Amino acid sequence: MPNIDFVGKRNFFIYLSLALILFFVIVIFVKGFNFGVDFSGGSEIIVSFDKSYTIDELRNGLRTINPDYATAKIIQTNPGGGTSERFFYIITVRDSFPILEEKQAFINSLEESFSDSNLNIEQFNDVSGYAAREIRSYAWYAVIIALMVLLAYITIRFQFSYAVGAILALAHDVLITLGFYSLFGIEMNLTAIAAFLTLAGYSLNDTIVIYDRIRENRSKNHGMDIERVTNKSINEVIVRSLNTSLTTFIVVFIMLLLGGRSIASFAFGLTVGVIIGTYSSLYIASPIVISMVKRRKKTQKA
Amino acid sequence: MRNRRIRILFTIIVFVFALLGLILPLSDNVNDISIFGFFPNINLGLDIQGGVLLEYSLDVPEEADTSNVVDNVITVLRRRMDNAGYTEAIVSEVVSGGESRVRVEIPGISDTQRAEELIGSKGKLYFAEVLEVVESTTTPQITRNRTIQINGEKIEMYSYVKDSNNPNLWYRVKNVFEFGDAPFQITGLDVTDAVASLNSQGAGFVVNLNFNNEGRMKFELATANLINQRIAIILDDEVIIAPVVRERISQGRAEISGIESMAEAQNIAVLIKSGNLPVDLVKFQERTLGPTLGRDIVTTIINAGIIGLIIVMIYMIIVYRWMGIIADIALIYNSLLLMGVLSWTGAILTLPGIAGIILTFGTTVDGNIIIYERIKEELRIGRPPLTAVKFGFNKVFSTIFDANITTILAGLVLFFLTSGTIRGFAVTLIIGVLGAMFTNLVVSRLLLESSSHFLKPEKYVKGIVVGKGGTK
Repeated sequence: MPNIDFVGKRNFFIYLSLALILFFVIVIFVKGFNFGVDFSGGSEIIVSFDKSYTIDELRNGLRTINPDYATAKIIQTNPGGGTSERFFYIITVRDSFPILEEKQAFINSLEESFSDSNLNIEQFNDVSGYAAREIRSYAWYAVIIALMVLLAYITIRFQFSYAVGAILALAHDVLITLGFYSLFGIEMNLTAIAAFLTLAGYSLNDTIVIYDRIRENRSKNHGMDIERVTNKSINEVIVRSLNTSLTTFIVVFIMLLLGGRSIASFAFGLTVGVIIGTYSSLYIASPIVISMVKRRKKTQKA
Repeated sequence: MRNRRIRILFTIIVFVFALLGLILPLSDNVNDISIFGFFPNINLGLDIQGGVLLEYSLDVPEEADTSNVVDNVITVLRRRMDNAGYTEAIVSEVVSGGESRVRVEIPGISDTQRAEELIGSKGKLYFAEVLEVVESTTTPQITRNRTIQINGEKIEMYSYVKDSNNPNLWYRVKNVFEFGDAPFQITGLDVTDAVASLNSQGAGFVVNLNFNNEGRMKFELATANLINQRIAIILDDEVIIAPVVRERISQGRAEISGIESMAEAQNIAVLIKSGNLPVDLVKFQERTLGPTLGRDIVTTIINAGIIGLIIVMIYMIIVYRWMGIIADIALIYNSLLLMGVLSWTGAILTLPGIAGIILTFGTTVDGNIIIYERIKEELRIGRPPLTAVKFGFNKVFSTIFDANITTILAGLVLFFLTSGTIRGFAVTLIIGVLGAMFTNLVVSRLLLESSSHFLKPEKYVKGIVVGKGGTK
């Protein structure tokens, strides 16, 4: 069994995490997020052609349809892992097309602009601005309500200070992962939200396994001080933590590498999240509990 | 010993249950995408099999009863989809934050224009005088016609309208009534209510209509002049029913009799009422995915998942030897269980749902790792294998319980607060985590207890000696 001093250096790691969070908050403010149509509204169209175009050719074509489309986001993509004969592009415009005639006119002019290459509309996602607002607000509700439910559950099964530790570790994981989304410009969409909720579940799972061991060891070793109990507990479960993290990491990382674009923002969140979540379970969640338990003891004595 | 027998029983029952879900012909889906070809009972979402999802907000007038409007809109859209040949379409209500919307999902098509035309056109209900009824396999042509202006709307005086039940039956109707001072139409706007009930005077069922004041006067005028003739009730250019007028109707109430079943009467009532509420549908969102693209994406994701899974399975065997093999069996068992439950419940599997499944694998493996680490600890302090297994399982129960319940709670919040594909993720996550708990605490335990003689305790006892005297 390893014998690593996790709690002794806890101040160092808490400051390290605070520095990381500060850094990523600045990144988020400066760079912002790359919102997909789920959040910003608009239309995301995947088209395929017989022949390849450069992004500039496509942009010029779009500009002739409507000068506003000169700012469209265009990405070349390859959904089938290179087996297809056709060339795929994702075009994202700020407009949504609530009326059928408008949409048809848009598609017709696309076909005119690229008439010699057998254009095919593979995917058409149109989210009205209103829908985007709603999706955004419900994503927040989901996160906040989930956090409250979890706070209540951990308080009942453990103690309030454990719940605070778990939630702080969770906030830590989510903030840093959000920072990575911003830093690398990964698209924020509904699947990214799914990734964050999974990450929340994963991070808590990891934290609770350690808490459970602390709870058990505290009742077994009365009188042993909390720091030693915590350190002993983390060391007892670290093999499990690393094994689980490694196996989860393998699956999500391979999905990120091979899964293609539509799952990328999900897989990215989890790949980053697994690493951050494992780190925070070992170095953040439990050390916070120690500080809180110690402070409470002090106030009780005084 | 008794416990073990109960575990064997449960393991087998659940396994058979899952297998039946996979094998029994529960639905007539044809899944031809990747490994889902083997699981025809699983409903694939549109983001996997391709198709179009259209969601509309309803522009409901303030005084109207929203739930009624939604029901009516759904009935009308359902009927239009069926008539247009989109019989696989799903028309459903989506409730989000107190607002109701209508969602139409049509699998397998990517040309949405026709569907949008069908949905976008307002349903129009009106009454018309029947001049003659003909049978014809082709649409009969009106030779001489004239148009007439009512309330600024141009209306053709005569037309052929086909029967809603019999496509070869055509009614030549006069669309406008010309009794009294000015020509007029009776439309859904004149009807305040339509209720289906049992015929109190004779056989069969009836639909009772109530008219508003203006409708009452128009209806009285029309019936007074059309005794013993037929009046057609027309919705979306099809005759729903064409009853014979028995007498002049002046109370603002009419009764359509001679309907054979209650279901038909109810259907007619709803259709008439829905014509009464011509609400505007405003497109909320559209998601269209071409079938080929969907297939390519899904195949890629599944391949990635399977590769990841195989690597994890090999890793488990290398690290845990015999216990790793049992973990792999548990993993396969839980996957079959998940597929079985998806088949039985008819839950729709979406792309994020597949991600949820892959995470379930993670939970299953994690549970096994927690258990094995505990068993190894028990072996280290010198317990014989079977006792070590039993102690290990008893001690990890609360860990696995707490850790998984938190995941399930997060899943439940997600399920109730979201819709569509993310909800699909929550479904597979919840089913999968519950399955993982069962698999780990019952199936793995059964397998390990039955095969505890394969464990080599010497290895671990030696391990602790090295640990103590060695590195630290």
